[in-house]
Amino acid sequence: MPQFEQVSVFGSLIFWSLLSFGLLFFILKKFAFPPILEALEMREKKIRNDIEDSERLKNEALEIKTQLEETLKAAHGKAETIVQLAHDESRKAQEKSLQETEAKVRQIQKDAEQEVLNSRNKLLQEIRSYAAALTIASTEKFLKKVLGEDDKKKLVEESIEQVVQELEKRQRN
Amino acid sequence: MESPLHHFEVHNIIPIHIAGLDLSINNAVVAMWVGLAVIAGSFMLVVNRGVSPIPGKLQSILEISLEFIRSMVYEFIGEDEGKKYVPFIASLFLFILACNLIGLIPGSYTITSQLAVTGAFAVGIFLLTLVIGFGKHGMHFLGILVPPGVPKIMIPLMVPIEVISMLARPISLAVRLFANMTAGHTVLAVLFGLAMTGPLWLGWLPFGFTIVINGLEIAIAFIQAYIFTTLTCVYIGDVIKLH
Repeated sequence: MPQFEQVSVFGSLIFWSLLSFGLLFFILKKFAFPPILEALEMREKKIRNDIEDSERLKNEALEIKTQLEETLKAAHGKAETIVQLAHDESRKAQEKSLQETEAKVRQIQKDAEQEVLNSRNKLLQEIRSYAAALTIASTEKFLKKVLGEDDKKKLVEESIEQVVQELEKRQRN
Repeated sequence: MESPLHHFEVHNIIPIHIAGLDLSINNAVVAMWVGLAVIAGSFMLVVNRGVSPIPGKLQSILEISLEFIRSMVYEFIGEDEGKKYVPFIASLFLFILACNLIGLIPGSYTITSQLAVTGAFAVGIFLLTLVIGFGKHGMHFLGILVPPGVPKIMIPLMVPIEVISMLARPISLAVRLFANMTAGHTVLAVLFGLAMTGPLWLGWLPFGFTIVINGLEIAIAFIQAYIFTTLTCVYIGDVIKLH
C-alpha cells in the first residue's frame, strides 16, 4: 500500500496537515465562529424570550377572555333581568289598561242601561198619559156620559195596567 | 487494469527540504488546501457579508453545522466546560469533513486516507486530553486508571488494563478513519477500473455501482468526521469528569 511504502512523505504530510489545521482553527476561531455563534445565541435568546412573551400574552389573553366571559355573563344576566322587568311592567300596564277599559266599558254599559231605563220609564209615562186620555175619551164616547172622578181614575188605572202588562209581555217575548 | 491503490500515491509538486526534512508540497497537501479553502472561504464569505439575524442559505448551512457540533460538545463535555472546546472541535470536524469530501472528486486526494496524518491527529488529541486532564486535576488525574468501585486488590491488575485501553484510543481513532477512507476509495477505484476496462455492454454495470458507492462515500465522509469528533469529545469529557 502506498500509504505504508512512501515513508519519505510522512513528514511533509504530517507537517502540512497539522499546520493547515492550526491555521484553519486560528482563522475560524478568530474571525468566523464568534459572530456566527453570537448570532446563534442571540437568536436562541430571542426565540426563548419570544416564546416566554407569547406564553405570558397567552395567559393574559386567557385571563382577559375569562374576565370578558364573566362580564358578558353578568351583562346577559342583567339584560335578562331588565327584559323580565320590562315584561312584567308591560304586563302590569296591560292588565291595568284592560281593567280600566273594562271599568269604562262597564260604566258605559251601566250608563246606557240607566238611560234605556229612563227612556223606558219616560216612554211608559207618556204612554200612560196618552192611554189615559185615550181611554177616557173612548169610554166617554162609548157611555155617552161624562165619568166621575173616581170612575175616571179607576178606569185609567185598569187601562194603564192592561197596557203596561201588554207592553211588558211583548218586551219579554 | 491499473492498480486500485495507485491513486493513494503521493507526488511531490513543489520540493521543499529544510534541515534534512522533506516538507515538499504534494498532491495530497494541495487537495487538502482546496478543501480547507472552501470551508474557510464559506465562513469568511458569510462573516464578511455580515451575519444576518435572518440567515440566508449559506449562513443557515454553517449555522446548522456549528449548532450540531456545539450540541455534541455540550452533550459529552458539558455546557460550562464545553464552551471553550467548541471552536476546536468544530474546526476538527470541518477539517476532516473537508479532507474526506475533497477526495471524492476524481483526480483529487484524500489526505485522511494516510495513516500518518490520521495518526498524527489522533496522537495530538491523545496528548491534548492528557494536558487537559493533568491541568485540571493535577496528579489526581491518574485516578482515571482506576475505575470507581474496583476493590483495592484488583488495582494492580486494572491499572495496566486501563493504560492499554487509554493507549488503544488514539490507535483506534487513527485506524478507523484511515481504514474507512482507504476502503471506500479502493472500492470506488476497483469499480471504476472495471467500468473502464470492461466492454461497453457490461461496463455500465460497475459504472452504476460507482455512482451508488460514491453516494455512500459521501455519507461515510460525514459519518467518519462525526465519529472522529464525537470520540474526541468523549475523550476530553472523560478527562474533565474523571469517570
